[in-house]
Amino acid sequence: MSIISLKNIYKSWGDTEVLKNINFECEDGELLVLLGPSGCGKSTTLRLIAGLEIPTSGIVEIGGKDVSDLPPVKRHISMVFQNYALFPHLNVAENIIFGLKARKIPKKEQKKRLENAADLLGLTDFLDRKPSQLSGGQRQRVALGRSIVAQVSVCLMDEPLSNLDAKLRQEMRQEIRSLQQRLKMTMVYVTHDQVEAMTIADRIILINGGVIEQHGTPEELYNYPATAFTGSFIGNPPMNILTPDTQLLQACPSILLPSVDFTAPYLLGIRPEDIEISSDSGMECLVELTEYLGADTLIVCKVEKHSITLTVKGRVAVSAGDQLRINWKVEKIHLFDAANGQRIEHLKGATP
Amino acid sequence: MRLWGVEIGKIIETAGAWLLGALWLLPVVFALWSSFHPAEYSTRFELFAPLTTENFVRAWSYAPFPRYLFNTFILVTLILAAQFVLCTLAAYGFARFDFFGKDFVFALVLLQLMIMPEVLLVENYRTIGELGLLDTIPAIGLPYMASAFGIFLLRQSFKTIPKELIEAAQVEGVSALGILWKVYIPLSKSTYIAYGLVSVSYHWNNFLWPLVVTSSVNSRPLTVGLAIFGAPESGVDWSIITAATVMTMAPLLVAFILFQRQFVQSFMHSGIK
Amino acid sequence: MKSTFQLRYWNHINGWLLVLPAVFMIGLFTHYPIGANIFHSLFSMGTVTRPEVFTGLENYRYLMDDDIFWKVLKNNLVYSMCTVPASISIALGMALLINRNIKGRSLVRMSFFTPTVLPMIAVANIWLFFYTPEYGLFDQVFAFFGGDSHNWLGNPNSALYCLIVMVIWKEAGFFMVFYLAALQQLSPELKEAGLVEGSGGWYYFRRVTFPLLMPTTLFVMVNAVINSFKLVDHLIIMTKGGPDNASSLLLYYIYENAFSFWDTSYAATLTVVLVFILAIITIIQFTVVEKRIHYR
Repeated sequence: MSIISLKNIYKSWGDTEVLKNINFECEDGELLVLLGPSGCGKSTTLRLIAGLEIPTSGIVEIGGKDVSDLPPVKRHISMVFQNYALFPHLNVAENIIFGLKARKIPKKEQKKRLENAADLLGLTDFLDRKPSQLSGGQRQRVALGRSIVAQVSVCLMDEPLSNLDAKLRQEMRQEIRSLQQRLKMTMVYVTHDQVEAMTIADRIILINGGVIEQHGTPEELYNYPATAFTGSFIGNPPMNILTPDTQLLQACPSILLPSVDFTAPYLLGIRPEDIEISSDSGMECLVELTEYLGADTLIVCKVEKHSITLTVKGRVAVSAGDQLRINWKVEKIHLFDAANGQRIEHLKGATP
Repeated sequence: MRLWGVEIGKIIETAGAWLLGALWLLPVVFALWSSFHPAEYSTRFELFAPLTTENFVRAWSYAPFPRYLFNTFILVTLILAAQFVLCTLAAYGFARFDFFGKDFVFALVLLQLMIMPEVLLVENYRTIGELGLLDTIPAIGLPYMASAFGIFLLRQSFKTIPKELIEAAQVEGVSALGILWKVYIPLSKSTYIAYGLVSVSYHWNNFLWPLVVTSSVNSRPLTVGLAIFGAPESGVDWSIITAATVMTMAPLLVAFILFQRQFVQSFMHSGIK
Repeated sequence: MKSTFQLRYWNHINGWLLVLPAVFMIGLFTHYPIGANIFHSLFSMGTVTRPEVFTGLENYRYLMDDDIFWKVLKNNLVYSMCTVPASISIALGMALLINRNIKGRSLVRMSFFTPTVLPMIAVANIWLFFYTPEYGLFDQVFAFFGGDSHNWLGNPNSALYCLIVMVIWKEAGFFMVFYLAALQQLSPELKEAGLVEGSGGWYYFRRVTFPLLMPTTLFVMVNAVINSFKLVDHLIIMTKGGPDNASSLLLYYIYENAFSFWDTSYAATLTVVLVFILAIITIIQFTVVEKRIHYR
């Protein structure tokens, strides 16, 4: 059963349209990530679900009920903010049960839920502290605690990890994921970090310029990018997107190219990890720079004026200025329509 | 609109704010009304009562208001100029130099925030007398020229200027005073504006101390002139007094209306410690 | 090259040279007069024929027996205790209203703030007329509802309260500005968290906004209390402390003694009391306000 559903949502700030015809559903118990570059409208989408913003048109449903006219508190949601929104003058315990008090939940129940949440999050020893006396990770946990004690069906998270350092971010990511699965929470999670999205999500909605680019599981987004944008946004280093011109078509053996008529405008997408170095076949290119990353090496090379990035396992003995032959399997090529960026299937029988 | 039915609340809120705002403006509106109407209308509010500038003309002729205005102008300018110089130097010293007894001296300076010169008017009057400055414009300004408030504000502002900028200037071989002039002062422009506006409004309106140290037209500022003019024993007509009152407050009021945002922001700025 | 020792030496000299002019002036017009007041309060008033004589605590003994002094002190306390809480709560209310997204809010803000830029003398002139018996605005409003004429400022029971109402009007907008500044610094995320957690309106104000504004409230309160002791311009226009000292305040009483009765010794004695009161407020400021809880 879908617990959240957005139907034909439009949102404008004055004359600028920030969301255009947004439609999606989020299933019960699912962790749905709203992913996209900054300013794409993903946070606005989340705030529309929360009721902190009102759509210009369209309907927001939570639990099968139209909540478009309801204030945040009546939507039975909880929310974790980017800067945690902890009240600086209240201690950890008071912060966690702030909403319960506001809603006049009985004291005994408050205490029970608080103990339960503090236990889950390892905050039991910190309940008397003020937010200013906590580390970033602990503050994050308090914000999570507020969500947990609310015992509501939906938890909304707005870039919850963006203020943490890289190591802590990874830890908290895993913790949030395991908590979500243990408590069977439905979570809508906003981030601009594609790695975070790929690792944590059941499904991802990729938003760009106020429209949904693609909606699917992390595997679907990686293997079958619906648009050139998705292809270049998901994956690290990003997918090479080449605009085939006569020079490239001449340099590239036709066996490496899909059998389409290149007089029409196409874009060729190939992931760096799908390219390999070959000794005899493939395309000639000139190494421009190499970056040794430990587990693998990143090589940037040039064919005429096209730049192609590839990654190879381990250390490779090439350096800038070397000539290199590169090779790939033609089925690894993602073909897009240059006019609108849409994916075109060029292999028979391949369906996403 | 569908925003969870707060519209009613919003209307009440707006109406309340407007009502309170109108109430707050009422005395000023009233002063304007009675200054621009003949005396018989000063308490009768009829929409089509005849307008007149007669009250201003008469107030102007009864008392040397141009001279008062000139005195106030000189006074405010003098104080502001002296404050900028003295407070800038002191703030620079407190913000960027470590010298013996600094914290103690700074605490002594801050005492002036609590005990303003007008509270000590008996002894300050004696001091001014001994300096032979009674009944002069500098006498009115002298106790306020070194302002703890100005020193405090500028010091705060100077302290926020990144150390790298100063070090960059030092590496270029700029002297200590050169750094003050070329880095600190330009980067604290908004604080100077804020402090300037607060200071000008304070001294334009200041009354008790000027009343005490002045005794002639040559040095009296507007506020004192108005008080003498409006004293009941002077026997002047009410609408003429309001005209004089309006003249006294008009320059600052007009400036305030024109630069409303700047004024409010300046007072805000001066309050954030 | 200067040695490190020389550099440090120069730092001291430069620092002192920079602060010296201001420190000297402040010393001359703040610290010296405090001392001089204490000194002169120990002498009798000199006249042309009779030099001043050391009388020890005689002036203070006189002060203890001076009914007017006690009356004025009581007036000043009533005045402070009325104007300070009232103007602060109105200021807070104004700031909360203006912080909302209401129509015409810059206009409303301007009208709240206008009294701040007016000279107290001008304000007193205007309000003097409001309080005029029969013709004044207040009496006209009362007459409209069938009330009698009141001699507002001439009645010992109402004179002080008339001043209080006017001062609240004059100062609320000034204090509002500090609250506005503080409100703007509160993170909007907190408000949103409040909305999600279901705490609108009063609960949120009581549990979050008001506690977070506490430092501002304390700052404003200290300023308001100091103002209530140092601003007496309006008395000179409106009541001259009367009738029968019913509306006199401490600084006005000092002014009267020094410049109407020319009893500078007694004025000095009264000034010592005023400085003492301000010193107590200062101490409270430093122990309570400065040690307030720093949240961030």
